[in-house]
Amino acid sequence: MDNGDNVPALEFAGLVKRFGDNVAVDHVDLTVPAGSFFGLVGPNGAGKTTSLSMAVGLLRPDGGAVRIFGRDVWADPVAAKALIGVLPDGMALPDRLSGREVLLYLGLLRGMPREVVAERADELLQVLELDGAGGTAVVDYSTGMRKKITLATALLHNPRLLLLDEPFEAVDPVSAATVRTILQRFVARGGSVIFSSHVMALVERLCDHVAVIAKGTVVASGPLDEVRGGQPLEDAFVDIVGARTGGAEGLTWLAS
Amino acid sequence: MAGVLIEMRGAILRRSVSYHGASGSRGRLIGGLLLALFVTLLAVGTLLAGLVHYHYPGAGAAVVATLSFGWLLGWVTGPLLTGDDATLRMDYFKLLPIPARKLAFAMLGAAFANISLVFSLIAFAALIALGAQSGPAAALTGAAAVLLDLVLAVVASTVAIAVFGPAISSRRGRDFGTFVLALVITLLSLASGLVPFVAKRLTGGHSPVLTAVVKILPSGWGAVAVDAAGRSDWGLTGLALGGLVALIGVLVLAWPPLLARRLTMSARGGGRAAHARREREPILPSTPLGAVIGKELRMYSRSVLRSVMLMIAFLVGVLAAVIPAFSGKTTGLPFAGLLFTVIAAACFTNFYGDDGTSLWLTLVTPGAARPDVRGRVWAWFLVTGPAGFLLTVVLTAASGQTWSWPWVLAAEPALVIGAAGLLALIGVRSVNGPAPDGGPAPARVLKTHLALVALPIVTVAPAAALLAAGTATHDVALRWLAVPVGLAWGGYLCWRSVRLAQQRLERQGPEIFARAHASVS
Repeated sequence: MDNGDNVPALEFAGLVKRFGDNVAVDHVDLTVPAGSFFGLVGPNGAGKTTSLSMAVGLLRPDGGAVRIFGRDVWADPVAAKALIGVLPDGMALPDRLSGREVLLYLGLLRGMPREVVAERADELLQVLELDGAGGTAVVDYSTGMRKKITLATALLHNPRLLLLDEPFEAVDPVSAATVRTILQRFVARGGSVIFSSHVMALVERLCDHVAVIAKGTVVASGPLDEVRGGQPLEDAFVDIVGARTGGAEGLTWLAS
Repeated sequence: MAGVLIEMRGAILRRSVSYHGASGSRGRLIGGLLLALFVTLLAVGTLLAGLVHYHYPGAGAAVVATLSFGWLLGWVTGPLLTGDDATLRMDYFKLLPIPARKLAFAMLGAAFANISLVFSLIAFAALIALGAQSGPAAALTGAAAVLLDLVLAVVASTVAIAVFGPAISSRRGRDFGTFVLALVITLLSLASGLVPFVAKRLTGGHSPVLTAVVKILPSGWGAVAVDAAGRSDWGLTGLALGGLVALIGVLVLAWPPLLARRLTMSARGGGRAAHARREREPILPSTPLGAVIGKELRMYSRSVLRSVMLMIAFLVGVLAAVIPAFSGKTTGLPFAGLLFTVIAAACFTNFYGDDGTSLWLTLVTPGAARPDVRGRVWAWFLVTGPAGFLLTVVLTAASGQTWSWPWVLAAEPALVIGAAGLLALIGVRSVNGPAPDGGPAPARVLKTHLALVALPIVTVAPAAALLAAGTATHDVALRWLAVPVGLAWGGYLCWRSVRLAQQRLERQGPEIFARAHASVS
């Protein structure tokens, strides 16, 4: 099954999800090559978070399949989930634990030896500049800190694929630079990353592949240069999605 | 402007009622109706208390004064429980350029548009009833006192928000509110034992101190006025009523500056100071199960919500048995441990709902479902088992009720072990996320009350049958047989429930997760 780099890191095959009458994800097909830095972009409500949730086991699809390095997430969850690290958007952690305790808990939960977990936890906290928080409970963390500690939980077990939902939102520029460097090193060493974002400049800077999702379907996907076709990604995005940018008319009383 | 605020409040309430969708709104409706019924009963009860004629002169006033204290306390602590008047958060108004005085009086006016006033009106009408016993003049005084008490309730409640305000909107503040709620719940549940006790002392005139205290507090001034009018002591009547007016005046005058202070204070409580933690030798095994138990135990000791629930269970369990013992009735003592265990179990019937979105970690980690269920069961057992057992043994020995030994030794293990497993099963099958304002959903409260009854029945039934048979046939051996039977049945229930719960979490994890965070988003 595993013939080296030919197996895609992540594959959506005809993925479907309905919420009542609303089809949030409508037969999405997507391939994330192994070793790529993949950006997932789209307007609000396009289905990015829904798709990623289905890929990691948080949301059950109504149809289709998700494969991680060839292993079906829903048919063989244990094998698939061992390979991924997840940073979901806006999810809580056991909030009365300190950052270090959260990492220890998760490492042990994954069956890692205690000394390894402790060592990696200390290192991650240091690199992400969370070691100053010491005994502070996660409930008292700022939003940026919470994102960073959740990222640490995703990295702890040395996954092969990282799935990140808006990883840079509410993170200050310095921390964002640290996170960027960590992710770039991860990819350089053979890891794969897929992350969703609204910030086109960031996606352009980091990613070598990109997919545009709108209204539950993939409208464009492939290497970055192919998708943006010579324009800045932001303009290409607006063209692809067919949106109309407003703001040029009306509001005559504003600043009058 | 008060009109605008009242409209705003109405719109928010309407939205929050229709927000939940079919099942949610049904649960809310039932919960709301039950609450309304309960409060109505309380109000009518208070009213009737005013109609009773006591031998001891002035006892009626003391009783009504005590009850008025209860209602006023409810008004003042109410905002703490719902968190800063959930429908008119102060934070909405922080950025608007409205002069503080105008906003203050508008908010005060809007505060009167509160349906709880109806219940309080019925309750305070006890003052009129009290006065009617002594004649029309006293009844009229009663009516005036009712009006003043209602105004005082609303004003005091509004000012309380400003005083406790900055604490309330932070997470720490909600913890404080939870603590107060716990105290109030404990008092309420002990009321059935406490109230007759207090009432007897008040009406028999045995406790001049208690009577004096209850009448000196502002909540009692209305009753004092009515009582004085009944005795044609117009000086005291004027003093009491005037005192109420003055108090209201002081609060109303103090309100605008307090509000201004409240609006300019930051809501953030600030993080706890970081302190270096000693690296302790790990006690628990370094396995997934050990990790879950460790996390759960830490949550029990650090989460205010959980420790408060345990505190309520302990206080109610112990005091409900101990208070009658003051009057010489020691039959309840052996059962304190059982009561504690039942309440502690009923409070934790919502394992996965209470954790909200943090279930994602369990879903995303391969093979985490089984240790998660077992770990939670173990952790709950470790927290409540020894305490319940100790309470049972110590208090039974202290009570001298030796007949009860087979009863409690059979029931307590069955209850603790059986309930530990059942909690896991209930937790995966019935998931109630928090309500939008952060408090417990009515369905969850209902579940807790049902569990209080259902859990002991299910876990202790076989043992109880043997105990009853043994008592009826005066067969000691049969009664003691209940002990191993209880243990075995509890063990079986636990084992079976845990297996079922594990299977369900593994197969239906995403669905459980969706329900746990449905109300949060």
